[in-house]
Amino acid sequence: MSNFLTTYGALIVSMVFAAMLALSLYLPLMAGQLSLASPGFYAIGGYVAAILSTTVFNTGESPYPLTFVVVEMLVAALASGVLAMVIGTLALRLRGIYLALATIAFVEILRVLALNLPITGGAIGIFGIPQPFETSLGYLWIAGPMLLASAWFVYRLERIRAGRALVAIREDELAADAMGINPTFHKVMAFTLGAILAGLVGVISAHFLNTWNARQGTFDASIAYLAFVLVGGSRTFLGPIVGGMALTALPEVLRAVAGTPGLPIELAQFLREGRMILYGILIVAVAVSFPQGLITPALLRRKRAVKP
Amino acid sequence: MSLLEVHDVSRNFGGLVAVDHVSFQVEQGEIFGLIGPNGAGKTTLFNIMTGLTAPSRGQVLYAGVDIARLSPHRIAQRGIARTFQNIRLFGDLDVLTNVLIARHIHAQSGVFAGLLGLPRARHEERRARDKAMELLGLVGLTGQAEARAGSLPYGDQRRLEIARALALEPRLLLLDEPAAGMNPNEKQVLSDFVRQICAQLALTVILIEHHVPLVMGLCDRIAVLNFGELIALGDPAHVQNDAQVIEAYLGEEG
Repeated sequence: MSNFLTTYGALIVSMVFAAMLALSLYLPLMAGQLSLASPGFYAIGGYVAAILSTTVFNTGESPYPLTFVVVEMLVAALASGVLAMVIGTLALRLRGIYLALATIAFVEILRVLALNLPITGGAIGIFGIPQPFETSLGYLWIAGPMLLASAWFVYRLERIRAGRALVAIREDELAADAMGINPTFHKVMAFTLGAILAGLVGVISAHFLNTWNARQGTFDASIAYLAFVLVGGSRTFLGPIVGGMALTALPEVLRAVAGTPGLPIELAQFLREGRMILYGILIVAVAVSFPQGLITPALLRRKRAVKP
Repeated sequence: MSLLEVHDVSRNFGGLVAVDHVSFQVEQGEIFGLIGPNGAGKTTLFNIMTGLTAPSRGQVLYAGVDIARLSPHRIAQRGIARTFQNIRLFGDLDVLTNVLIARHIHAQSGVFAGLLGLPRARHEERRARDKAMELLGLVGLTGQAEARAGSLPYGDQRRLEIARALALEPRLLLLDEPAAGMNPNEKQVLSDFVRQICAQLALTVILIEHHVPLVMGLCDRIAVLNFGELIALGDPAHVQNDAQVIEAYLGEEG
């Protein structure tokens, strides 16, 4: 067991990150808003952590003090939240695919800025980000409770007035408006909550990866997170969590499969490298056969009904 | 003072004049009918009153305040609720949730109070559920509370729309063809129901309806629109005998 945990520690932590990033995309989607901006806020969170921990907080202490991580998280949450309110207020006038395009543009702008600004280390990025934990698995001490907290948050949100307002907007924005619900306010709120969550994950991720550069938070990541939600399920908070974890573990599983002897070289190669192709195929296949994803509220209700 | 005063309202869509210099007043407690042939501008007028469409000119005074260019949720918060001609329920959600959503404006506790399940939020949530169930009882849908709204029969969907609108606890209720698709018997039941809630909840009702006997029997006063213009206004007997109305709408046999 302990051998398994050391081998797969990094993967387990990545799976927890993925689940939270999927939740960050799920939040605006609760209100029917397809935003692909999460990688942008994730990148911002990472740069906040990278810059602060290698400059002002660089005391040389080892392991890196957790209080500093908490301060970084507060700064990242504030930065992501404020930026999200501004971007959200502007971009959420757009609907459907136009909103998706605008948020992709936002992620690209951030990427180009990161590539060219001195403070973000340009194309090289920022190296030697200090580690608060000695092993990969240690990061679960932060990431685990964070996932539980964010899952609880969204679980509760789905059951209260504010969450119902989001769902009403998703179902019929005009009717929701006529029932006294302010669509703009609620859409910006959901977008901002998602952005804050992505920013927080970025902070932990930067320490975890030890290095941060413009390759974090790209269009590829947007599509990956979208796949997490669409495959896992877009109608209950469990969907993105399961989707994020499963699709992050999938490449490792495939890599293991690719190792079986006697497999044609091309197939083995595809199994190793074809992650994004596979995500694309999965999105299309699931969207056609299971429009609400694999885990749906109806499925959960049936499970509960079966129990004695 | 009238509860609602439509004052010289016009609305153009490109070259089409959907509503043309219309003025009328609706008194507190009245059941007011809005009739006219297809395309006469009735629904456009409803959309103007509820903020879904801005008028090109004119004012809509509600309790003395011009609401003509407010957003729909602000108007709903002030006490005007409506149903839709082409039913706009939250079809994927269950019947109870549809009504609960419309209780939105009657709770004050914020997101975090709700998330944490603070006593006040829990109390509000329970009250909202009780009220929603009470309204479902009023329209006779208690048994279907768990059903998917979109799966209800047509008549039940119309009644659910009324329950959802009533959940706002409006002073003014706008019903857009509430009897569409109902048989004569159901129409009579609906007519009695509208009269009942109007008295019981101290409502003022404006309704759009095509079925002439229903309108004549139910409404205190009727406004007739034709090609966006108000061609007659008065009690049913007066409107029924108006020459212009007979020509435009009721047909030659009257």
